[in-house]
This record gives sequence, structure tokens and C-alpha cells, in this order.
Amino acid sequence: MDTLLRFDNVNFFYQTKKEEVHALQDLNFTVDELEFASIVGPSGCGKTTILSLIAGLLPVSSGSIILGGEKVGKNNHQQIGYMFQRDHLFEWRTIWKNITLGLELQKYENKEEKLAFAKELLQKYDLYGFQNRKPRELSGGMRQRVALIRTLVLEPKLLLLDEPFSALDFQTRLNVCDDVYEIIKSEKKTAILVTHDISEALSMSDKLIILSSRPATVKHIEMLKLNGETPLLRREDPRFGSLFDFVWKKLTNEKEKT
Amino acid sequence: MKKKKLKLPKCAPYSKAHERYLRKRRNDKIFVLFFQIIILVAFVGLWELLAQTRIIDPFFVSSPSRIFNMLSSLIESGTIWRHIGITLLETLCGFAIATLGGTLIAIILWWSEKLRRILEPYIVVLNSLPKIALGPIIILWVGSGMSAIIVMCVLICIVMTTITMLNAFNSCDFDKIQLMKSMRAKKIQIFWKLVLPSAMDEFISVLKINVGLAWVGTIMGEYLSSSAGLGYLIVYGSQIFRIDLVMTSTVILCVLAAVMYLLVSLLEKWHKR
Repeated sequence: MDTLLRFDNVNFFYQTKKEEVHALQDLNFTVDELEFASIVGPSGCGKTTILSLIAGLLPVSSGSIILGGEKVGKNNHQQIGYMFQRDHLFEWRTIWKNITLGLELQKYENKEEKLAFAKELLQKYDLYGFQNRKPRELSGGMRQRVALIRTLVLEPKLLLLDEPFSALDFQTRLNVCDDVYEIIKSEKKTAILVTHDISEALSMSDKLIILSSRPATVKHIEMLKLNGETPLLRREDPRFGSLFDFVWKKLTNEKEKT
Repeated sequence: MKKKKLKLPKCAPYSKAHERYLRKRRNDKIFVLFFQIIILVAFVGLWELLAQTRIIDPFFVSSPSRIFNMLSSLIESGTIWRHIGITLLETLCGFAIATLGGTLIAIILWWSEKLRRILEPYIVVLNSLPKIALGPIIILWVGSGMSAIIVMCVLICIVMTTITMLNAFNSCDFDKIQLMKSMRAKKIQIFWKLVLPSAMDEFISVLKINVGLAWVGTIMGEYLSSSAGLGYLIVYGSQIFRIDLVMTSTVILCVLAAVMYLLVSLLEKWHKR
């Protein structure tokens, strides 16, 4: 597979009233096309900052981020879809209006095609009958599916998932995890997931990037080849437990350092 | 006594427990409404009784029957409509200008964070200033009469509108703004499609507060300088010791303010639908 995203010695500093904070230090990693990568690390190490840098919402201080052969900037926004901790559906809009929000913001030559694609996605993921409903009428899992479809309608190459399941209860979380994973795989998307949940990261990813505490560096990259069609089934792989312990120890060491 | 059957929609399969719950809800509503009416009737009845038996002096506190008679004579002579019309016009003008103007200022201040920081201390001072103190200056600048009253009404409502709407705009979810930015939304799109709709609940609250404040502003303005209007009637009535006129004008004001509040409540219901 070709490399879709490359971090080359990326550093990021931000300023506070007291000091200059070195948040990310010489980050180097790649994500291949169609790969599902997860980033885990201690709290506050800068995981979300990495996603903001990829999305072009923050500028890198030094180094470069290459996405699809181009430096990340304003021009390659279209290649990125961002999903946040909560679904952030606009309560005053219908499901259809929420899903097509991105299409209202830009002039697309193939808008009709994209609208047809939106309809197709709604049908495919069992939300067609709900298109005229308001978000409050949907369950947590359905809302998260709508948020994902809103992102997919714009046909991004890379999906950024910032703890998208953290607001859900455990049972819903496992189901939504499966749903989202299935959608991402069937739509042939590359994804980067940022999460605190080691099990979630292990069950969903092809690649696991473990970060150190601040300033965050890449501490370890683990290629995962767990058996199982879905994240839920992968949790039953005999290697799951030992991998969990391995990541847990790495993170605990970092926590102790801080 | 035969128990009245509760009307239920045909579609839903109601259990006995659910029927009991619905009946309790309906009874609670009736209970509250009943006591609301009882308080009003008791207040009016007691007032009339005390005035008739001369325990309280109707010359100073009037009575419901005297207010009714005064209202009838004012309606008969037709003069009341002119006074109501003028006060209503002043209030509606002040209400509309202050609400739209205050929201517009809030939009400008949201747009430019630097301008907001520069103007912040002035807004705080203007908010805490008793606007009645500006009365004589307003009369000097815009003259006496309707324009001075509308300016007074606007001054009373506009600062509060600006502050509330600005707070509402600024409290828009940061992640939602980031989501819009990640979709390449321009600032104007972020405002129209996210920030403004998110602030609609606060806008309705502003309308509700402004209903009250606009009446305060108008009546204060009419106290200062007017030759017609309900505020003028109140001042005139107190100067010639016609407390019936003062009370009648006050009752009319209550009814008008309640109607205006009701209209805003209907707007709120429509918005929340």
C-alpha cells in the first residue's frame, strides 16, 4: 500500500502567559492508504493536537506533514474528514440537513452526485426513514452514524476520529465501534483514531502508535494482526490480552515519569 | 358521583397505570389554574370589600368598581384609545430598535474580538448606569415627546440585549466551530449556520426580558416628557389626585404587557416545535 500520510520531524509549540510549551517533539510516523491507525498516549500528551495539525486547524512549528503527496495546508482540507468526541449534530436541523451541511459550505461541481451519494449512504446504513427527523429523536448510536455519514458525504481520503465513542455508554460503544469500523472499511477509507481506551484501539486498528508524555514523541509503533472480522470479535483473539498488557505497561511507565 | 371519563387519543394502548398518571397530570394542572384564579378573585374581592366598608380609603387606593367605572367612561369618551395607541407605538418601536440594534452590536463585537476587548469597560459602565439619569440630556438632544421616549426605551433595553446576545454567541460550542472549520466554512458561514441558530434560545429570553424593560423605558420616558400616553395619564392622575385614573392606566399597562409576553411565548413554542 502507498503511504497516505507522513509526519517528518514534526514539532509543535504553543504559547501560554507563563511559558512556551513544547507539545510535540520530532514526531515521525506514516499511515498507509486504507490503514486504520490508532494513537494512544497519556492524558494531555497532545493526541488531539496531532489531529488538529493534520486537519490544518493548527500550523506545525517545524517539520512537515505530507498528505497524499502534498504538504498539509488550506488546499487539502477536502481530503480530510473530522469526527469529534461528541456527534455535534445541529439540533435545529433535520438529519438530512445535518448530513448535507458540508455540501452547503462549498461550491461543488458534482453536487448532485454527492447528494445522491448522501441518500445512498442513508439507505445503506438504515437511516433513510429518519432523514426528516431531528437529532433528538435518534439514539446515541444512530447519531454517531449520522455524524460519520456527514463526514463521508464529502468523500475524504482520510478520516480523523477524536475519541468518537467516549460519550457513549459501554454497550452502545461496542456496537457503534463495530458499525463505524464496518462503514469505514466498506467505504475504503483510511482512518486515524485518537483514544484513551486501549481495548478500543487494539480491536479497531491495523497500526498502534504509542506516544510518550509531553513533549510527545513516538515511543512505539505496533503493527496489529488480530484475527476477527469485527472489533468485537478481535477482542476474542488470544493475543489480545498480552497486547493489552504490553500497551498498558508502556503507558503506565509514561505516567510514572510525569 | 359519576367519575368523568378521561379523554385519551385513540392510537395508543394505555394501561390503567398510565391512565392514572395522565389523570394526575391533568388534575395537577387544574389545581394550579384554580388557585391562580382564586388568588386573583380573592384579591379583587377583598379590595372591593375593604373599600366599600371604608376600612381603606378609596380616595388613596381606589377600588375595582371605581376602576371599572373609570375604564367605561374612558372607553365611552374614546380618549383611552389614543393614549393606548401612543404608548404601544413607543414601546413597540423601542422594543424593536433595541432588540435588533443590540443584536447587531453583539454580532459586530463577536466578529471582532479586539473591538470587544476595547469596548468592554464602556459597555459595563453603560450597563450599570441608571438610564433615568440620562433623561434630561436625551430631551436636550432629541427634544421632548415621542422621540425622547423611544430613545429612553431603547437605552434601557439595548445594553442588556448586547451583553446577553454576545455571551450567547461566545458560548457557542468550540468543537462545533472546529467542525465547521474542518469543512472549510468561512467565518460568515460559521455565524449564519452555527453561532446564530445556537443562540436562538437566548434570543427568545432577550425578547421576554425586553418586553418588561421596554414598558419600563416607555413609562419612564412618559413620566419625564409627554402630553399623551398611559404614563402621562398616570402622572396626570396623580397630580390631580385622581387615583382611579392612575390605577386604571396601570391595569391597562398590565394587560398590554401580558399580551406582549404571551405573543413572545407563542413565538418560543413555535421555535421549540
